[in-house]
Amino acid sequence: MRLKDVIVGTVMAGAGIFYLRMAAALPERDGVDAGTVPGILAWMMIALGLIELVGALRRPHASEAETRAATSGLVTVGLTLLLIAGFIAALRPLGFPIATSIYLFLQFLVLTPKSASRSVPLYAGLAVASSVLIFATFRYAFDLLLPAGPLVAWLN
Amino acid sequence: MFDLLIQGFAAVLSLKIFLLMTVGVAVGIVFGAVPGLTAVMAIALCLPMTYGLGPAAGISLLIALFVGATSGGLISAILLKIPGTPSSIATTFDGGPMMEKGEGAKALGVGIVFSFLGTIASIAALAFIAPSLAKVALSFGPHEYFAIAVFSLTLIATLSSGSMAKGIFAGVLGFAVSTVGIAPVDATARFTFGNVELNAGFSILTVLVGMFAVAEVIKVAESARHPIDGGAAPLPVKIKGFGFSMAEFLGQIPNAIRSALIGIGIGILPGIGAGTSNIIAYIAAKKRSKTPEEFGKGTIEGVVASETANNAGIGGAMIPLLTLGIPGDAVTAIMLGGLMIHGIQPGPMLFITQAPLVYTIFAALIVSAVLMLVLEFWGLRIFIKLLAIPKHILLPVILVLCAVGAFGLASRIFDIWTILGFGVLGYAFVKAGIPTAPFIIGFILGPMAETSLRRGLQLSRGDWTGFLTNPISGTFLALAVVSIAWQMWGEYRATRGPVAANPLKLGGEE
Repeated sequence: MRLKDVIVGTVMAGAGIFYLRMAAALPERDGVDAGTVPGILAWMMIALGLIELVGALRRPHASEAETRAATSGLVTVGLTLLLIAGFIAALRPLGFPIATSIYLFLQFLVLTPKSASRSVPLYAGLAVASSVLIFATFRYAFDLLLPAGPLVAWLN
Repeated sequence: MFDLLIQGFAAVLSLKIFLLMTVGVAVGIVFGAVPGLTAVMAIALCLPMTYGLGPAAGISLLIALFVGATSGGLISAILLKIPGTPSSIATTFDGGPMMEKGEGAKALGVGIVFSFLGTIASIAALAFIAPSLAKVALSFGPHEYFAIAVFSLTLIATLSSGSMAKGIFAGVLGFAVSTVGIAPVDATARFTFGNVELNAGFSILTVLVGMFAVAEVIKVAESARHPIDGGAAPLPVKIKGFGFSMAEFLGQIPNAIRSALIGIGIGILPGIGAGTSNIIAYIAAKKRSKTPEEFGKGTIEGVVASETANNAGIGGAMIPLLTLGIPGDAVTAIMLGGLMIHGIQPGPMLFITQAPLVYTIFAALIVSAVLMLVLEFWGLRIFIKLLAIPKHILLPVILVLCAVGAFGLASRIFDIWTILGFGVLGYAFVKAGIPTAPFIIGFILGPMAETSLRRGLQLSRGDWTGFLTNPISGTFLALAVVSIAWQMWGEYRATRGPVAANPLKLGGEE
């Protein structure tokens, strides 16, 4: 039995059950209605999840090394997701140039390999230059109204 | 006809239009190369600039953008393993591994040359067989479209080497995600949770950017702190010419011809564009290859198939657009708007009433293809220098560009949250060993299948046998059954053998 595949199979079937419940809540009409195709898809998802689950129960155990490899680096992944979420949440209040500069600077730091040197001034310069260049290109060349935040009076 | 074509070239090669087209192709290549920016956005953003230009100049600029952006997707598909546009999804399958092997320059050279040849082949098809082919496509109704969609969906099984259940699940999930929003036919709001922003469903751009670009950033984050190879970017080989030999070029001619025919054929059918044709051409190339085990590991055959087919879709999509006024996809829909802005009404009468302009369009397509070849060849050395930028610097900047692309769809922060959501889903797929490509196919073809099914049933008053008795639809449905049976037989034989041959890893599958 491979735990990872068991979890995957369970999630697949679970997603199908969740989707089926939502499809069942749609208003019913005579013949083929808005819920028919989602209902068919949901049953397919459940069946495929069960097939995967049965297959996983038959497969041999994963080695310890495989399990360890699967969980390494998750802290960096978590930090990256938090940074991206923070960047999106900050876009309106801080505006694109400021939010992007902060995000890029922090993301450069988080992703830098341990073996490489971290040059804080270089990262700060790159972050600000990139955000200004992207903002200027899209705002003034393509008329895309990216949020300017507190800088709105100067940038628009 | 040739007189008209010469007139068209004379118009296009005037200094003003030629310069406009050069800029258009260059901008298009950039839009195609940056994940999150697409041909649709390039044309939509530049459309207002054509208002002040005459019809020939305006249309030529739009065509230059279209050709450049369709081809530009290969650059990021190869260098970053992120498809710049939906039309380059299959290019990542072998372009990415070639880059990792130090053959990035060769992959780019192959992609550029066969993009050019695909475009030229499709222009020839457009010029010579447009009217008769368009008539066939016009005769297709919902029954035929449903059957074509079902047949195409069964190809998911072919893309699911590894775990067939996981691959098919990915396709079904993609289809399920496409059901979010207003339902076809009866306009019932589905799975929107009262959120008006979901009424229109998810945009293909946000799904694609999330599943490929954002997921790639997250994936890189996982190994960024402790890179297995010490963080060194693979060095590209020194490039001479386009990076490949004449023998390699000649060996790919049959593959290119087949892929061009697939690209043109699919491009003609409204609703299915280069986003699908590149994957189908890739599958066909793998099936017909003498070395199918090399696919997914970095073979030029895969790059040739994908890039020839997606660019062949350009001329293919223009066939129903010009002869019937039916746009095949989002890009040609905007092109239709562009033509109408300049007082051109596409349709069967266009070839009679405005023949010189039609041939100007043909000439613009040919000149754009040549400009694309020259600009990409010239830019090849610059693109390769991208490899020198460390991934921990490059990928966050790309993520920001993806966010800008998503925001540019409708000026909504919601769309940026969507790419993050699909990015997490794409990363989960990678961790779970679920291929991403079937998800995209399910998402693209799902709405067509459902809409055609419901319309077909309305036409046949709820009689399901209508799908079988219609000759074209019945044939495609039979082909779908054969396709599934064939794949199941292959899977059964593989599991009975000593080692299951499983060369195809897709969409960042681990």
